[in-house]
Parts: sequence; structure tokens; C-alpha cells
Amino acid sequence: MDLFLQALINGVMLGGFYAAMMLGFSVIWGVMGVINLAHGEMIMVGAYLSWLLNEHVGMDPFASLLIVMPVMFIIGYVLQLILINRVVDRPILVSLLVTFGLSIAISNLVNVIFSADPRLTDTALEGAWSVGNVTFPVTKTAIMGVALLIMTSLWLFLQKTRTGKSIRAAAQNKQAARIVGIDINKIYALTFGICIAITGAAGAIISPTQAIFPFMGVPLTLRAFTITALAGLGSIPGALFGGIVLGIVESMIGVYVSGIGTNLAIIASFVLLVVILITRPQGLFGGLRPIEEPVQL
Amino acid sequence: MTISNGQQLLEVKDVFAGYLDYDILHGVNLSVRPHEVVCVIGPNGAGKSTVFRAIYGLIKVRTGKVLFDGYEITNYTPQHVLASGIAIVPQLRSVFPQMTVFENLEMGMFLEKNKDRVQERVEVVFDLFPRLAERAKQMAGTMSGGEQRMLEIGRALMLEPKLLLMDEPSAGLAPSIVRMIFDHVKRLNSEIGLTVLMIEQNARQGLEASHRGYVLELGKNTYEGTGQELIDDPEVRRAFLGGR
Repeated sequence: MDLFLQALINGVMLGGFYAAMMLGFSVIWGVMGVINLAHGEMIMVGAYLSWLLNEHVGMDPFASLLIVMPVMFIIGYVLQLILINRVVDRPILVSLLVTFGLSIAISNLVNVIFSADPRLTDTALEGAWSVGNVTFPVTKTAIMGVALLIMTSLWLFLQKTRTGKSIRAAAQNKQAARIVGIDINKIYALTFGICIAITGAAGAIISPTQAIFPFMGVPLTLRAFTITALAGLGSIPGALFGGIVLGIVESMIGVYVSGIGTNLAIIASFVLLVVILITRPQGLFGGLRPIEEPVQL
Repeated sequence: MTISNGQQLLEVKDVFAGYLDYDILHGVNLSVRPHEVVCVIGPNGAGKSTVFRAIYGLIKVRTGKVLFDGYEITNYTPQHVLASGIAIVPQLRSVFPQMTVFENLEMGMFLEKNKDRVQERVEVVFDLFPRLAERAKQMAGTMSGGEQRMLEIGRALMLEPKLLLMDEPSAGLAPSIVRMIFDHVKRLNSEIGLTVLMIEQNARQGLEASHRGYVLELGKNTYEGTGQELIDDPEVRRAFLGGR
């Protein structure tokens, strides 16, 4: 029973990270119709930024968010203006190819600069609390806390602010957004910037617990796909639910299937993806818009 | 900037426009006076929607002029056209389906940053369309087609436009709903003096709801007259109103 509870707790915590890690992917898809295959690389870049600050300035990875997020925002904003903006209205294959190319370019560039050696950051938030025989590692609890904070802030931003509402409007009906006077290009650049900032933040907070290396991105992008399928495009409650489901599935398999457990966990996430796509292709939650293309003028 | 004669709110003067190098409009002339409802009818492919696109800056006007309220607005961006006082209700569904009716109206006044002002205007629109007030918290996408059209009109009125462009207000609606929408147009015109320029496939009902009409054929306007004159004109009847 303790083993089960522990696996459950670990799964929920992992799920919180997954939810924060994939939000940017799902919001970009929902708002701009771009499937960003370089998503995992953005997590990786955020993680390396955090590692650089940790290694050279001794900054705690959680504190490094204050620098990582603005830097990633700028990277996202500029990337959108000079690259993504050119492919956003083209057929989906074009943006898939561009972001796929970006993914390969970024991971190999980082490989050249930093080598493939795995890195970890040090955080002051370590140790563990115990309740009965179940332990709550402090670092993972902090990751969960930051993840929830990010999700709540994004939710409030999208629901309550004028800019947030215009992002939702652009996601739901681009033409209508234009006729009420919303500058679509500006909204897209802003959305991309915010999403990349969140994505980089996810990389920074995971850096004390998971090895950082140049090719860590791809499995994360694939998980982002699975959770988006579970959650619906840009749905924040859906992201949390989907992230936790995937986290628990992976954690349980890791605990109860000996030997190949962790490798099997990745297989599980894709079995889950296939099952969802067959049974409920629109996702379990509404999100920013339905996954199929809205009617355009 | 050119000052017009002051009589007209909108004047489209000898406009040639189209896509890439190919003109769809070959010298369109039309005008709308303040507080008038004007309807443009014509067969498919005559360029009716293109006229709106040209006014709204969605395509480039190659030669000719668009004058609005005394100023030239030719080739303004859509944002500028909107800010100068022309709102548009597009042909296809244009509500934000996963936003509430209230939020949809708020978005209609995206250009206004003062929240009190937005709230005021929402109240005005709710007074004009009590049905929308009843549904304020409902997701727009769950409403009927007629209610969504009403919301689109309400949203367009948020910025207190001097002119409302309506692209085929009857498209995709059941005949009884179409009648209701035209009744709303007539009511808004008499209650708040709203000026409307609409394009209509449903020629007879469109002309009946209008003071004046234009017939557009092959990118040029060929007939014009009061709504009744056009309905009674044998040529127009034979070509566009199903004979008799």
C-alpha cells in the first residue's frame, strides 16, 4: 500500500511538471495552428540557461526563472517574427517541416557548444518530508508548486485581461478577431513569446532532478502531444488532468514492472495517445477551440 | 484628404480593384447617405463581396476612391477603417464560439481601453437586443444561428459605428429568421438612425428592407433606384427576383 501511495504521489508530481511543460505547445497549437516540433528543444534551452546561471553565478535554478523566463520570452518573440510568422498561414506541413528543422538545428548546436555530457543543477531546495511511510521530496514539491503557479497565472491572464481575451479571440476566429481591430501578428508574437517563456521555465525547474543533455527534447515533445490529445487545445485544467494521468501511468509502470519499467513508461504514453485519438479525438476538455479547423472567411 | 459634398456618408467612386493583377471591380460607383439603408444585389461572382473587401482595406484599390464622412479612406488598413467608424458583419459565422455573449460584445470594443465605457456600451446593446441580455453568460457557440447573427450585429454596434456593412445577413439562416434579422435592421435604422450598407443574395427581402438599392453585374453597377423601384423594374425582376 505504501509503495502504491508513493508511486501515486510521484506520479502526481511528475504530472504537474508535465502539465507546465506542455502548456506552451498546446496554446501555440490552439492559437496559431502551428504544431511546434521544436518544443522539447525550448525546454532544453531553458534548462541549459538555468544550468549556466547555476554553474557560473551559483544561482539556484528556481531563482533563475527570473532571468530564464524573460530571455526565453525574447527568443520566442523574435523567432515568431522572423520565422514562424512566415509559415503560420501556410499548410500545416510547412510549419511542421520548419519546426522540425529548428528542432534538429537547436539540439545539434547545443551539442556542439556544450557537448553531450549530461548536466544537473544544484538547488537549496532539497531533502524530503515524510508523512507515515510516504516521502515528499522537497525539490519535486517545489517543481509542482511552480508548475501550479505558472498554470494559474496563465489561466488568469487568458481569462481576465484584455490581451488574454484577444489571444482567445484570435484562437477561436481569426477573421472575426481582425474585424474587431485585433492586430493578429502582434498577438501571435506575444503568444509565442509567452509560451516559450513558460516552456523554458519548465526546463529550468526540472534541471535539478533530470539530466540535461542536448537531445532531451524529443521525448518531451512527444509527451506534449499525448497530453494535448488528452486535454484539448490550450485547455489549462485539461493540461493538469492530462499531465497527471500520464505522470501516474508512467510512475506506476516504473514501480510495478521491474527491469524495463522506465522504458515501458514511454511506450505507455503512446499507447495512451493512440487510444485517445481513436476514442475521443476532440480531447476530454474544451480548450481554446476544437482541434479541427474553424470556419474561415 | 478630400472633402466631399457633405451629403454623402460613404462614396465609392469609380473603384477598380481585385486580386493580384486581375480586377474584379471595373469602376464601381455607389453612395450611402446618413441614416439610409442601402442594399447591393447581383448574381454570384458579380463582385459584391469584393466591394466590401475594397472598402474595408482587405484588398487593394488600384484606382478610384473611397470617401467616408468627408475624408478619403482608400486603402486604409482594416483597423483604421474600423476606427474611422465603419463596422462590418461578415457573411460567415463570426462570433467567438467559446466566449460568452458578454465577452463577445466586449471584444467588439477591443479598440477602447476604458472599461467603464465598454460596460456602458454593452448596456446600450443589451437594451437594443434584450435577447442578448438574457443570454449574457452563455457561450456564443451554443446559441442558434439567428441569435449568433444578432450577437454579430450587436458586437459591430459596440464602437458606435457611423456605418454598418452587412455581408449577406441572410446567409445560412432559415426564412423566418431572415425576416427577423431584416426587421432588426429596419428597427435599428428607425430607432437609432443606423446607416447600413448591405449585400444581399436574397434580393427581394433585402430590397424591401432598404431605402435604395444597386444592382451589381460583372464588377460594375448597372441599375440603381429606391428599393421599390428596383423590385418593380421588369429587367431587374426578370434577372434577379425570379421573374413574374
